[in-house]
Amino acid sequence: MYRYDEFDAQLVADRTRQFRTQVERRLAGRLSEAEFRPLRLMNGLYLQLHAYMLRVAVPYGTLNSEQFRMLAHLAEKYDRGYGHITTRQNMQFNWPKLPDVPDMLDDLASVQMHAIQTSGNCIRNVTCDPYAGATAEEIEDPRPMAELIRQWSTLHPEFTFLPRKFKIAVTASEKDRALIKAHDIGIQIVKNDDGDVGYKIFVGGGLGRTPIIGQVLRNYLPKGELLAYLTAALRVYNRYGRRDNKYKARIKILVQETGIETFTEQVEAEYKTIDISDISVSDAERERITSYFAAPDFETLKHDPSEFTKALEGNRAFSLWAKNNVAAHKASGYAIVNISLKPKDLAPGDITATQMRAVSDMADTYSFGELRSTHQQNLVLPHVKQSDLPALFAELEAAGLAADNINLISDIICCPGMDFCALATARSIPVSQAIAERFADPERQRTIGEMQIKISGCINACGHHHVGHIGILGLEKAGVEFYQVKLGGDASEDAAIGKVTGPGFSQEELVDGIERMVDFYLETREGSERFLDTYRRIGITPFKEVLYA
Amino acid sequence: MSTLKHKGKGPQSMTANELRDGYSVWLDENLDWTRDFSAALRTEDLDLIDRMQLKADTDEKANIVVGIYFIDIETESGMPVRYREKFRVNGPSYDTADLLEAK
Repeated sequence: MYRYDEFDAQLVADRTRQFRTQVERRLAGRLSEAEFRPLRLMNGLYLQLHAYMLRVAVPYGTLNSEQFRMLAHLAEKYDRGYGHITTRQNMQFNWPKLPDVPDMLDDLASVQMHAIQTSGNCIRNVTCDPYAGATAEEIEDPRPMAELIRQWSTLHPEFTFLPRKFKIAVTASEKDRALIKAHDIGIQIVKNDDGDVGYKIFVGGGLGRTPIIGQVLRNYLPKGELLAYLTAALRVYNRYGRRDNKYKARIKILVQETGIETFTEQVEAEYKTIDISDISVSDAERERITSYFAAPDFETLKHDPSEFTKALEGNRAFSLWAKNNVAAHKASGYAIVNISLKPKDLAPGDITATQMRAVSDMADTYSFGELRSTHQQNLVLPHVKQSDLPALFAELEAAGLAADNINLISDIICCPGMDFCALATARSIPVSQAIAERFADPERQRTIGEMQIKISGCINACGHHHVGHIGILGLEKAGVEFYQVKLGGDASEDAAIGKVTGPGFSQEELVDGIERMVDFYLETREGSERFLDTYRRIGITPFKEVLYA
Repeated sequence: MSTLKHKGKGPQSMTANELRDGYSVWLDENLDWTRDFSAALRTEDLDLIDRMQLKADTDEKANIVVGIYFIDIETESGMPVRYREKFRVNGPSYDTADLLEAK
């Protein structure tokens, strides 16, 4: 875990002190709403449909148990007892009161957290593979690089007022768990032909009302040049990105209108004007940052110890959970544990204060005090001994967190929708609950296999519906909600935008239609095909026929 | 002054959010702000609508409320016309907090 240095601590302390006086001036009438609004947004405070909403940054989705306990404290003391994990790995609180927010920020600062750059036209919180530092698939831990970008981009004077918000995601594996191709810039740690570690840079991806898969900007960038190159790319965007129309202002539009070849030439030309030594980070500094993410002291353990294999044989519930929710770890005898925040009756991504404390305790007992949030609105305990899995499972069951549905049909990404969001056009939470209810039978879920349903309550696509195997977009006309369906989206390394099937449905018709498509898939699939594989093999037409039957 | 003058059709209510707590509020018959929409003033009387506008402007300047605007009201049901406004009246159809309170 990265620990704030004196500059970080001072910066956050100054910022929270400034915001306290800004709130005081607003409440006393010395700041108008027009003056205050950009200030509160710069501190992650929105005014939503029913109340204020505070979005807390979770840099690259990494938390320690102390920080998660603090989030529980905020939920209980200042909100209504729960928090919501977002699709950018952050945590939102739906009911804070304006006079309390400075105290919330002070409390956050006490555990090295804040809400800076979770809103506004700046470089937002960097997101990351939640298995970072734990998976054998990665070339190296991507978090030191993510932390470097965090430090560089925090209150960056040149990039605080970009044409529009700017999102960066990083990974170090071929297997993409960070959706890097749907970001303004995606960074993949790679090795070149000489075996040197560097970066592959994608640009111009994004979802929203104009979904686009990112394109390669640089196939290989030497390690020491990352910040200089990002500076060049951001400068080109800052210079040429449209400011006349907010819906055309993201870098993806610039890249599309310019063409990737010309855009690349512009970035490379800008890059040549930059003195890399001015901005590059020394090996010593990179090593200093990397040292904070050093692997824990893993014990030398046997793979698949008897405590684990006996439990697999003797406890069916544990066995099913382990099969779905536990992933391979790089260290022998350890495992990565996914905690589903998608129980049948709750809103995807919501977690109560009591559960947060329980997970914090589990992180301390079983995972070196570390946990992660994921863009799929779940949690991860990254370093758990396989021999501890039965005990951990029992604690998860007691906390109501043992849903064994990771990557199954009820593991649905879902934005807050009209129930909370001021931008939404329709509800999304009840739709996710209706689908989860329809497919509640765990055996049926396992028979269906990997399935990613993603729901957005408006065209802004916070629920990532464009990249769902089944994507659902909620709209409203004349006071009636209806839902459009997309098929064939993919959030993985083979990222793809789904295709619209046609006219929308009521919620009830939608769930029936999804069930018909799933049944059709089960009848039609060959071998171990996933829903997405079958869709790719036979195309959209047969699925549309059963959807609209 | 607010630029959000009455431009609607039929009965109108004036709404905003409380500055301190952020909750949705509506002007009632006494031109006080209420969190209870059932007590909201719904009227087509243009003189009254002018008074509502004046009161809302004044309270926005006095930092009691933010984001004032009129909403159209359905004559028969007395509910807001726009779907979004119905949600502001009824609150979220699902909130994890309600489950916690029920426990």
